[in-house]
Amino acid sequence: MIEMNRISAMKRFAALLAPVALMLAAPAFAAGDVDAGKAKSVTCQACHGADGNAGVDPQYPRLAGQYADYLSRALHEYKSGERKNPIMAGFATTLSDTDIQDLSAYFASLPGSKLTDLHGHIEGE
Amino acid sequence: MTRALLLATALSIALPCAAADKGDAEAGKFKVYTCAGCHGIVGWHNAYPNYHVPKIGGQNYEYLIAALNGYKKGERSHPTMRAQGESLSDQDIRDIATYLSSLAP
Repeated sequence: MIEMNRISAMKRFAALLAPVALMLAAPAFAAGDVDAGKAKSVTCQACHGADGNAGVDPQYPRLAGQYADYLSRALHEYKSGERKNPIMAGFATTLSDTDIQDLSAYFASLPGSKLTDLHGHIEGE
Repeated sequence: MTRALLLATALSIALPCAAADKGDAEAGKFKVYTCAGCHGIVGWHNAYPNYHVPKIGGQNYEYLIAALNGYKKGERSHPTMRAQGESLSDQDIRDIATYLSSLAP
């Protein structure tokens, strides 16, 4: 009986640990350095705005508050040519993997985002 | 007088163009129904490759137009978005971009 209790307690402990281990593993995969990203973002600000909201010219996307891993993916695609844009290709090809991680972390971290998911914005929802 | 005439002429040319360029937000509200399957869930990931589906509500109008046309023409490679883009007319794209760009967090 005592043995069974111990096994059951161990199982519960393992069940608790698994999500914690996953949470720890995830940020280590793609986390950039926000401060380093800020220092590298001067060029980006000309079109995407100092606040990352691209308020001047609507042809450029707002970046503030966008998901970091999506920004990172987009920059890698501009760099590889998988996403075709002559302006962004010119910038992205100069960026290292670390630059991309840092810039993505920085723009994702900016306050005052005007972006939102579509939750609550769909007819009949 | 001449300057006022010039201004009026310029405006009469510019205004209808701008109006024709924008879509119908009300129509767009219905057309984004499909988009919500992936873009409507906070923090939702693509199945593969594994990154967040981007936030598109509140995004800039002209950028949304360019992005959707990019998927439609194959200048952007995401398979699901390419299929979506190909199913949309120019009017659909304008309506969707008008509605999405009107949203606020």
